[in-house]
Amino acid sequence: MLPIGLSFQQAPPISVPFRFFITAPLFLLAAAALLFAYGPDLMASRHSAAALAATHLVTLGFSSMVMCGALLQLLPVLGGVPLGHPGRMAWLVHASLVVGSASLAFAFLSGRPLFFHLALVLLTTAFGCFGLWLVGALRKIREGGASIQGMRAALVALVVTVSFGLVLAAARSNGLAIPYVALASLHPQWGLGGWTVLLIVDLAYQLIPMFQLTSPFPARMTSGLIPSLLLMLVAKTLGEFVSGPAGEAISLAASLGLIAGYLWFAIVTWRLLALRRRKVQDTTLQFWRLGLGLLALSVCIALLSALAGDALPEAWLQMLGVFALPGFILCVIQGMLYKIVPFLTWFHLQSAYPGMGIVPNVRDIHARFHADRQFALLAVALAMLAASCWFPVLSRAAGLLWMVHAAWMEINVLQAAHIFRKVRRVARMRAAH
Amino acid sequence: MAGDLILDVRELEPPEPLEKVLEALCVLEEGQRIRMIHHRDPHPLYPILQREGFEHETRFTDDGVVEILIWHSRNR
Repeated sequence: MLPIGLSFQQAPPISVPFRFFITAPLFLLAAAALLFAYGPDLMASRHSAAALAATHLVTLGFSSMVMCGALLQLLPVLGGVPLGHPGRMAWLVHASLVVGSASLAFAFLSGRPLFFHLALVLLTTAFGCFGLWLVGALRKIREGGASIQGMRAALVALVVTVSFGLVLAAARSNGLAIPYVALASLHPQWGLGGWTVLLIVDLAYQLIPMFQLTSPFPARMTSGLIPSLLLMLVAKTLGEFVSGPAGEAISLAASLGLIAGYLWFAIVTWRLLALRRRKVQDTTLQFWRLGLGLLALSVCIALLSALAGDALPEAWLQMLGVFALPGFILCVIQGMLYKIVPFLTWFHLQSAYPGMGIVPNVRDIHARFHADRQFALLAVALAMLAASCWFPVLSRAAGLLWMVHAAWMEINVLQAAHIFRKVRRVARMRAAH
Repeated sequence: MAGDLILDVRELEPPEPLEKVLEALCVLEEGQRIRMIHHRDPHPLYPILQREGFEHETRFTDDGVVEILIWHSRNR
């Protein structure tokens, strides 16, 4: 029998992405624990200390953590070139992101400047190093396709998000005089609507047709959507700083443009998934469908907010936050994670131990996740959290459900790592005899 | 001589097409060919085929189907 193996030599070791994937659900668990502990106090306002701590645990500790890990693994493979020192870079970015995210959460909860300063230094290190690595990687990759263009746009949004975040943190800890309200509104818009959504859209262009067996995204969308969204975010930022009716008009036009762009993506992706070639049901498809539905719902509330201005009650804005994050973003990240983790486990094992007949297939690895039951739990947890916006008394129950969900996700990623170690042990024992 | 081994992977998601063809390469008999029917051009497969001593020919049909014929180099 021929030993047939893979040789994508540019792929970094599995420890590079897995350290991020294993840590990320723990931050989701911590955010859920805050919701459980603070309950109605956390739900009182989007700007309460506990709400800010929980939000940043999810955005930095969970979603940015997963995205950094995925990019450190995917870019060298997608680009087809080895990229310098992924192991060392992964260690530095991971360590500073872990301690930096935790410090920021402590800083919001305690209000102590020391934690804000620590978070400032560590998060600047994490995103600074990651950003520089990404710039270097994108330069090395010669083919300037839509995917690379999208990543450049996401990187710009990351730089703006982190810069606004650093200024806001400095203002909170040192009382620095800044246009706080404008920046506090722009920071999440660049973070969620920019860095996170642009990257998700860009990855969706590659991953949806590949993994869900759909037709490709229309060329008009792949070439035009991400640059347009970036342009709208720039216009929105300008609108915030131009005073008077002109500023308001720019801001409203940019908001409507962003809303139209996000809705376009949701509708096109939904349609592609509905017309996919493979008719077998797959839970990751459910994660995507729910995520896209929640994106459409958040966009509808954003439209109400843009038109009604300050007249919209706080509960609606909280619900917008819930539908966007953890709703849309967590659903699609989990949908992608549950494809990528079994794929990487198989890929690295097949590369290392070809032809030994000991590498489980991808379906077997995925089957151990019980993703269908976890999806049902996620749907209930999201519904409970949305209901908590109107009935804060439900918030502790929502926190408990989210804790179970996060712990389950952690167990699933650990299972994949366990399979990897088990097969490696068997292969080494065979090689020793 | 055994007939062509037909491998229709159009409804499989990655990396299952690669899993299937790697399994098929291991059992391919002398003089036998694999006729792989795919929905796209499987670029990652080609360096593996070359390294492992196989040759291939890729045909693109008008209806978007990609057909890859694979055989042992020594059966040239």
